[in-house]
Amino acid sequence: MPKVTIAQNILAANDTIAQEIQRSLAVCGIRTINIMSSPGAGKTTLLERTIERLRGQLGIGVIEGDVETSADAERIEAAGAETVQINTRGACHLEAHMIRDALAEIELARIELLFVENIGNLGCPAAWNLEEDTRVVVVSTTEGDDKPAKYPQMFAASGVMIVNKLDLLPYVDYDVEKVKRHALAINPHLRIFEMSCRTGAGLDAWCDWLLNFAAEKDEQREA
Amino acid sequence: MHELAIAQSIVEIVETRAAECHATRVKGVRLRIGEAIGIVTDSLTFCFEMLTSFDPTLAGAELLIDTVPHQARCHHCAKEFPVVNFIVLCPTCGEWSSEVVSGTELQILEMEIESSKE
Repeated sequence: MPKVTIAQNILAANDTIAQEIQRSLAVCGIRTINIMSSPGAGKTTLLERTIERLRGQLGIGVIEGDVETSADAERIEAAGAETVQINTRGACHLEAHMIRDALAEIELARIELLFVENIGNLGCPAAWNLEEDTRVVVVSTTEGDDKPAKYPQMFAASGVMIVNKLDLLPYVDYDVEKVKRHALAINPHLRIFEMSCRTGAGLDAWCDWLLNFAAEKDEQREA
Repeated sequence: MHELAIAQSIVEIVETRAAECHATRVKGVRLRIGEAIGIVTDSLTFCFEMLTSFDPTLAGAELLIDTVPHQARCHHCAKEFPVVNFIVLCPTCGEWSSEVVSGTELQILEMEIESSKE
């Protein structure tokens, strides 16, 4: 019986859309960040605080992913960024076609940095390629310090890790150094920021890094 | 992982290619799946069989899965080593700088068909 060679990635349909998105955003000079975490780690608060600090210096757009409600998009819009809400109504991760549809509603000419706030989930989002320029995984001190060990794919696939809610350290059993050690054992190139989005501690370093990241052009990125 | 969504993607790809080469039956589909992807192969096979059970071209097609080990190559000593629990420490020289060389594949390689030309 004849064999027919296929030699194709199974998720090629998603990847093709993701690559088209990346090309069209790169042409506009827009850098993209995919933010992931478990529910409640502080992604939306991180974006609120970031936008409040940087909105005068950087055009920021946000694609906000949630299973239900527009509550997070409302918060981010109030902070001063153009925002589109995606409600997946059940899907636990964002896929490239959802991003493509959301981008049609954003005034791209005003944007230099696009955040995609993914669904609260430390598992599936890591497997779905959005061709973002970098991925940020947020962990918080109230989640237990074993998250890199339990969800290694997420940390292996990220460029940045944020450890949030440092202000709550006196009230929880959480070893920040253990989290950093294990995350770096999985991904030695991970850039790590420690902060409290509530008090503002550590946000300066993150915002400085973001400004440099947004300014990187294609030729620097390929180097 | 989403074994059902992945099975659906496999079915879509196979259906398209089967139509292109005028296959009357698809007897088997071979996949290459890396350990690092975290797919439960029994679940994937179950979902594939469920999705294809009433399809006249695909019903009974066997899913064959080649599993690829999670391996990295050390930048310092150039030795390849198995990556266990995603920890990328080189067991030969103890350095932390390496690149993953296999284990992240999620590919459909080939299918075996019956053709009306036979």
